[in-house]
Amino acid sequence: MPAYSMSRRRTIAILALTSLLLITLDVQDNFIANGARRFFAFVFEPIQDSARVFTRPVENAWRSFTNYDELEAENRILQDRLDQQEGAFIAALAVVRDAQELLALNGIDNLANISSITAQVVGGTPSNFSQIVEINQGSDRGLRVGMPVVNAAGLVGKVTEVFPKRALVMLATDVRYAIPVQVVNVPESETPTTTTTTTTTTTTTSTTTTTSTTLAPQTTTVPGAATTTAPVAVATIPTIVPTTPSTVAPAPVAAGTTLAPEAFDIDELPVSETGAFRGRGPDRSPVVEFIDQNSRFGEIKVGALVITSGGASSLAPRGIVIGRVTKITERTGIAGAVLEVRMTARLSVLNFVRILLYQPVAAD
Amino acid sequence: MVEFLNRPILRLILIGIVALPIQTTLLADVKFFGVTTQLMLCLSIAAGVVGGSESGAVAGFIFGLYFDLVLSSPLGMLSLLYGFAGIVGGYAHSRTVGNPRWLNALVVGGVSALATLVQPVLANWVGVEGGINTRLLRVVVIVGVINALASYAVVPLCRWGLAIKRQERLALSGDVFL
Repeated sequence: MPAYSMSRRRTIAILALTSLLLITLDVQDNFIANGARRFFAFVFEPIQDSARVFTRPVENAWRSFTNYDELEAENRILQDRLDQQEGAFIAALAVVRDAQELLALNGIDNLANISSITAQVVGGTPSNFSQIVEINQGSDRGLRVGMPVVNAAGLVGKVTEVFPKRALVMLATDVRYAIPVQVVNVPESETPTTTTTTTTTTTTTSTTTTTSTTLAPQTTTVPGAATTTAPVAVATIPTIVPTTPSTVAPAPVAAGTTLAPEAFDIDELPVSETGAFRGRGPDRSPVVEFIDQNSRFGEIKVGALVITSGGASSLAPRGIVIGRVTKITERTGIAGAVLEVRMTARLSVLNFVRILLYQPVAAD
Repeated sequence: MVEFLNRPILRLILIGIVALPIQTTLLADVKFFGVTTQLMLCLSIAAGVVGGSESGAVAGFIFGLYFDLVLSSPLGMLSLLYGFAGIVGGYAHSRTVGNPRWLNALVVGGVSALATLVQPVLANWVGVEGGINTRLLRVVVIVGVINALASYAVVPLCRWGLAIKRQERLALSGDVFL
């Protein structure tokens, strides 16, 4: 019998053609491919959960073996940082409350109004070419594809696949991840670690509220665990409400709240640029591209804050902190600068995350 | 009934059902220098090494399809890639000569590295961009080395999966000489 018989060739050809057919169906978003994935996920879920019971101790042993020294050093640094942050955090609570009240009065969405679900990351990415993690909450708890995922430090990614009791989250470092963002230059006097600065300036042309990056406390409940307080990094960026010159529009004041609407100098406020944030894999910093250079914005500086810009079609609401600009690469022509971003959330050590039950207006 | 259950295709499906959770749980977290071990790829090539190119193609298709179904990559992409990896692994196969283990390891490692290199290129063709970068070289080398070492355990497993008995393996069938 020859080494390559007719039947052997036929088998290989049929398998190759089947694969190509599957690729074509999946790329076309065919229901057969999606149905097959969903059915397999349904069947595979209990098997994977059972396997996790056996593999978890091995994983833990491996982690303790490989990460012990690093964890010990990190723990010391974090303890110091925690002490420093504690005082600032308490002061921030008051500022955040004020900012949220002002946003609510002006009818502007803010993250505190968006319901969220806390989930635990139960699995890492099994591929070397995608940055996807698995979480232990799914459509049973209201999760939908596209919802933004955050943790205490900022943006983590978005939900890409939803099953009844679990979901897959594409991390913001994945090469397929992209989202519209705003870049806000931080005032010179502000250091990157400052968390509570409120600036108010009076003028007769407009009413604004401005604060810098703050930590908003969010009380969330982890199923099967005690109630936890998980702060999430939000940036309350300048919100400008135009008013007629020489008059300040009286805003409706909630019962029990004393608010004195003030007018601010619009020219002294930090303005923001919009651009597109995109991941570039686990080893490379994500970037912001397609910056709309605004003459009033001036030069973008290293250390500028990058936050989600929101909008009718954006998958994330406005104001989720992504990170800070660490490097600016100018390009000639109309391409504009490319900004490298250091993300505030550490995506390599995720444990608990929050899924904002947010859907853009365009999706309604 | 026993004969039916001993069919290679069922054994391969069984191996895949056991290997896939290991890939998605244990190996997804236990990384070497930040690189995930590719057990499903290793199994596909090992099947080719012990059973020939046709067996490698079938095994690669099954293991690749399993992996496709849990990843967000286009369905069918890995079944195509792993199928071809199994075929390439099968070129090194010889039923009549007892392949030394180091040679099996070399083949499994080399083909794993090649398949890992081709994967982002194939992904680019089907519209998933971004996998081709400097990190790819590190991934290729580490996956190749780890799969070469893993072949010492995976090749005998695939030999069982393809129901190849020792006598049959070493018998002079003459297939390769024609």
